Amino acid sequence: MRQPYDSVKAFLDVFLRETKRMTSRPIYFYGIVFAPLFCLVFFTTLMKDGLPHDLPIGLVDMDDSQTSRTIGRTLDSFDATHIVARYANYTEARQAVQRNEIYGFFYLPKGLEQEANSFRQPKVSFYVQYAYLVPGSLLMKDLKTGAVLLNAAAMRKQLRAKGLTDKLAMDFIQPIVVDTHPLNNPSLNYAIYLNNTIVPGIMMLLIFLMTVYAIGNEIKYNSARDWLERSNHSILLALTAKLLPYTLAFTLIGAVVDFTFYVLLGYPCNSGIWPMLAAMVLAIVASQALGIFFIAAIPTLRLAMGFGCLWGVLSFSVCGFTFPYHGFYPFIKGLTYLFPLRHYYLIYVTQALDGFSMAYAWRSYMALACFMLLPLLLLIRLKRNLIHTNYVP
Amino acid sequence: MNILQRLLDILRIWEMETRLIFKDQGVLLFIVFVPLLYPVLYTLCYNKEVLHDVPITVVDQDHTALSREYTRRLDATPDVQVISLSADIPDALQSIREQRSYGYIVIPNDFSQNIHQGRQATVSAYCDMSGMLYYKAILSANTNLMLDYSERIRVSRAGNATARQDELTNRPIDYEEVYLYNPTAGMASFLIPAILILVIQQTLLLGISMAAGTAYETQSFSRLVFTRRKRHTLHIIMGIALSYFLIEVVNAAYLTLFIPYCFNLTQIARPLTIMAFMLPYLLACIFFSMTMSALIRNREITMIVFVFTSVPLLFMSGISWPWSAMPAFWKGFAHLFPSTFGINGFVRINTEGATLHDVRHEYLMLWIQTAFYFITTYLVSRHILKITLRKRQ
Repeated sequence: MRQPYDSVKAFLDVFLRETKRMTSRPIYFYGIVFAPLFCLVFFTTLMKDGLPHDLPIGLVDMDDSQTSRTIGRTLDSFDATHIVARYANYTEARQAVQRNEIYGFFYLPKGLEQEANSFRQPKVSFYVQYAYLVPGSLLMKDLKTGAVLLNAAAMRKQLRAKGLTDKLAMDFIQPIVVDTHPLNNPSLNYAIYLNNTIVPGIMMLLIFLMTVYAIGNEIKYNSARDWLERSNHSILLALTAKLLPYTLAFTLIGAVVDFTFYVLLGYPCNSGIWPMLAAMVLAIVASQALGIFFIAAIPTLRLAMGFGCLWGVLSFSVCGFTFPYHGFYPFIKGLTYLFPLRHYYLIYVTQALDGFSMAYAWRSYMALACFMLLPLLLLIRLKRNLIHTNYVP
Repeated sequence: MNILQRLLDILRIWEMETRLIFKDQGVLLFIVFVPLLYPVLYTLCYNKEVLHDVPITVVDQDHTALSREYTRRLDATPDVQVISLSADIPDALQSIREQRSYGYIVIPNDFSQNIHQGRQATVSAYCDMSGMLYYKAILSANTNLMLDYSERIRVSRAGNATARQDELTNRPIDYEEVYLYNPTAGMASFLIPAILILVIQQTLLLGISMAAGTAYETQSFSRLVFTRRKRHTLHIIMGIALSYFLIEVVNAAYLTLFIPYCFNLTQIARPLTIMAFMLPYLLACIFFSMTMSALIRNREITMIVFVFTSVPLLFMSGISWPWSAMPAFWKGFAHLFPSTFGINGFVRINTEGATLHDVRHEYLMLWIQTAFYFITTYLVSRHILKITLRKRQ
């Protein structure tokens, strides 16, 4: 008769066996601890400024007048821009863009001041490269503001000449203003926007790989039968006992990530840290489940791992934090449900960023939980593979 | 040995290595299938380039003909779509909670009164910050509409006699904005060229390391030992590099010429310039990968070791986070990888139409990397060969 006590003993046995395997080779430390923490340090230090400022731009001043010098000073005073060079003509400035010395430039034609004073409507232009999108769009905003201000100054001059007070002149110049409120990230901090998804995304990629590797290794080195025997031939016990050490280790890393984001760096966490920790644990287990599914469906270690890579790397584009869900083709919209990172991202937005009640995120929590059911479909197949498959390099 | 014998020796090694590559499914997966398939999947995600019709709601507290017109014209912009009128701000927030909309506009109750009385009117835009593109769309729709409204209002107040006077009232100094190289500010045109180049380095790294790992596992200890006969280290390196180089030439042509053509991405480069630039890039990648592959002792761990680095490497190149805002330490670190210079050079050649002269810094750095990694490959290989031969004896 098998006692419940036997199962506990078997569980502990397999659990300890796995921890021994994990400490036997450096790759486990690399994949579980080093890689995620390296990325955490890399991305938080890379974007520590939050929003890039003092982006290099150029000025082509053909006029060299009082007005044109004022424009130069105004542009330089903006947060995002910094005039690093002056060029003699358009071609020189364009070549500087192509050499990557500047991201854009402002062109002031000859006779600007004179024509403006005599109502002949001179034309200024600004050129911003968009091959690098982030600096491009930040600069475009500032340079456009610069042009609007330049106009406003010229209008005010006219209006003053007509005898209007400055207050009345402003009302005339700017009859409508739009004030924008970026909700919960008022400084448009890119670190908050990107890191919250990138770092967990890299963790999930590594979890796919480590899970597939841990199981596939047993097939490769012919230890799968020993593993199953120790687990009393229960595939469920075998899997849970084997993968629990990874769950615990990744949870610890996940907690370090959450602590760094929400406590150390003060990223918005309007839901409190617990829902995010819960989401992290769910995402970790969901990714492990997906890993089991991969190796059960494709019993060849390298192909299953290759599939894990594909899934993990595609997660970043498909989860919709860079190019949004709305812009996808319909069939890609359908695919997004199959990526745990998509659900994690939705939870992050609803909970930590916007601080809405958990009721609005339950679907995503449920979706992550549903991934855990995925391996159940292929348990029998996996067991058969573990016993009968021979490794082919 | 005379030159002819040396060449024959190199060719023999090239033949053996090429045979090995095409026999090994795992290596083929990375050297052939991933470069073939991956860019297509990626481009499909981003191919819509720009985000249209971001769903928003409007809180119209003014209820006048003017405020209704503003709402209608907002809806007519390509950037946003007004999905409904919200009764009040809590109602608008509820719509965001349910992920039906990504922002709301508040038109205050003194909007039309202010305009009619010649005072400055305000419109407030609130944006969900889960994706920067939502914010950009809502901001640009409102800013453009505001500028347009302002011009109309100024004209009506000025009471001019001619159209030319109207023009001068609005823009005493005219301005034009020019989007260089990526006129729609599209996501695919900006990101895909960088990814194409990164794919070359990463697949080579994975393929070559996997081959090295296999050789190590199958007791031949090193890919470098093909026969019992002693061979010149230099010949072995050249032979192996040649076999990867010839395969990558085909890949590079597919990635840098065919994919941009296929998906209609910006490409204003001369094919000859691209080819000339790819030469040192491929060589640098091959020798970089051959050096790194010395670390690999096992087939499958290559994926755990290298795949996640794609994400940090993409950021290190300065394609998404501007180079000018990067901390000095990471700038220095980025110099180690061919992808940094490969991406920057290629984007500027491909998207900005730069000449080799314009990207001479990157071009030179790639040649320096080629030389540097060639030497490291030589040292590492000689070391491995020595150990192998000692073990054989």
